[in-house]
Amino acid sequence: MTKNNTAGAAMNRRRAASGDPLGPNSEIGRKLKQYYDELVSDSVPDRFAQLLSQLERAAQPERKKD
Amino acid sequence: MAAVSQSFKTDLLASIPSLRAFAVSLTQNADKADDLVQETLVKAWDKHESFEPGTNLKAWLFTILRNEFYSQMRKRGREVQDSDGIMTARLAVHPAQHGQLDLKDFRSALEQLPEDQREAIILIGASGFSYEEAAEICGCAVGTIKSRVSRARTRLQEILKISGDDEFGPDAISAQVTGSNAA
Repeated sequence: MTKNNTAGAAMNRRRAASGDPLGPNSEIGRKLKQYYDELVSDSVPDRFAQLLSQLERAAQPERKKD
Repeated sequence: MAAVSQSFKTDLLASIPSLRAFAVSLTQNADKADDLVQETLVKAWDKHESFEPGTNLKAWLFTILRNEFYSQMRKRGREVQDSDGIMTARLAVHPAQHGQLDLKDFRSALEQLPEDQREAIILIGASGFSYEEAAEICGCAVGTIKSRVSRARTRLQEILKISGDDEFGPDAISAQVTGSNAA
């Protein structure tokens, strides 16, 4: 536990030292990631897989007969 | 037209969650976002030959999505907001309590940003793009992205009443002690 904290703090220090304004020290940075991760993990409606299958079928050239 | 490879299709499918997240961030509307993603997929499919395998597919798709978004806005005769607009007039006041920021408040603060700032801070702070990639996606200079991100961050801090963002946690102090050049 102590080890992890130390490693984490060291990483945070590095990010702070590199002047990363949206790093883990930043409340805005953390919220941005939380906001975005929530959007990314939203389940994808079927319409998109269907659309790609449609596009694929439409683009399929006449299949050569074996 | 060369056949679209199976791997391209698989990669497109895998990109959909990120595309939807970026689309929602831009449009601030779930239905519009999904229409935008649909347009993006159709466009990407049609011009798949212009994608160079081995380059960043996600960046390529984000570029298409972004161009589609702005061209739709222009078609609707909607002026693209610019950063120096008069947004400040309707800044909401949502004081953050003890550094605990509500995600709902954050969302509404984000919504108040001009599009160019919002997309910049999303690309850099959330989608994981570098400044160079974000500049390419937005068709502007790296310095422009940097300044938009910085203005977005400042504005979010103002709206959310966060002062001195880096004062949170003990690390800012240790950074000072170790002689950080963060300032």
